[in-house]
Amino acid sequence: MELVRAERRDEAIVQLLPAYRRKVFGLAYSLLRDREAAEDVTQEVFIKLWRALPAFDGRASMSTWIYAIARNASLSALRARRPQSSLSDAEVMDAVESSNPLPSADVLVERAAILRLVDQLPTKQRQVIMLFYMQEQSHEEVAAMLAMPVGTVKTLLHRARARLSASAGKMSATA
Amino acid sequence: MSTPDSELDKHLAALFGGLDTRADFDVRLMARLRAESQTDATERGKRARQQELTRHRRAVLELQSRRRLTLRMLALDAVGMSLPLLLAVITAWSRFGGDVMDISRQYGPYIAMSLAALIAAVPLLGMWREQTRSPIRLF
Repeated sequence: MELVRAERRDEAIVQLLPAYRRKVFGLAYSLLRDREAAEDVTQEVFIKLWRALPAFDGRASMSTWIYAIARNASLSALRARRPQSSLSDAEVMDAVESSNPLPSADVLVERAAILRLVDQLPTKQRQVIMLFYMQEQSHEEVAAMLAMPVGTVKTLLHRARARLSASAGKMSATA
Repeated sequence: MSTPDSELDKHLAALFGGLDTRADFDVRLMARLRAESQTDATERGKRARQQELTRHRRAVLELQSRRRLTLRMLALDAVGMSLPLLLAVITAWSRFGGDVMDISRQYGPYIAMSLAALIAAVPLLGMWREQTRSPIRLF
């Protein structure tokens, strides 16, 4: 806030980047389901922030303000790009496959299946699931990011997990 | 595939826990911000110049309008002053002696004409000055 008041926008952005880059990216990615598009939106969000910082009056908290910009930018990007891609489009799996230690083939297959199931969840449930596991499993943080009450996040998370467990059970039964 | 809750948690954390932007994200963003900053400075300069020009034009127009008003007032003053002056001269003339009356008969029209020309010349000179004055330029 001091940097914003002193009109040192560049320094303010450098300080905000490590704290919010991943959160903004997660928010965009949970909605867009496309890594490239989510990165573009994240860049746009930080440029918008940089432009709007002098007008930030501190009435809302910085995180609320940033998440609002990120949500609006993601929704605009989503409206601008149809048809949607899906989560299963290689990118997440690439990240999983490059993790250390390398998971076994069975685990990779199982994770790819779960990813497809997450992809089929309703938008809000999918967003909550993705953000919850991206943000160190904090209900409060996910609630702030999606501008929802914590209770709603917990309910959505519970429903999503139940749905995923049930779908995974069905898949194993048919396999 | 059986997936108990703890397993599901593990899989979901593995799938989404490590998601992040590419490594060069910050570098690309800072490059874009630098470019934005330059564009921003140029835009601000243009805007300031435009505002200054508008302010200058408004000031010049206001000054011209004030001058025209002053000239009109001066012209009306001249006409207004010439009438009582004429009356004063006529009244004073009748009280002077025969010599003065003779002179006035001889030179009266010339004196009156010179006086009228003098009074009329003031606003005319002002108007001429206003017409021939070069406009103020900033650059």
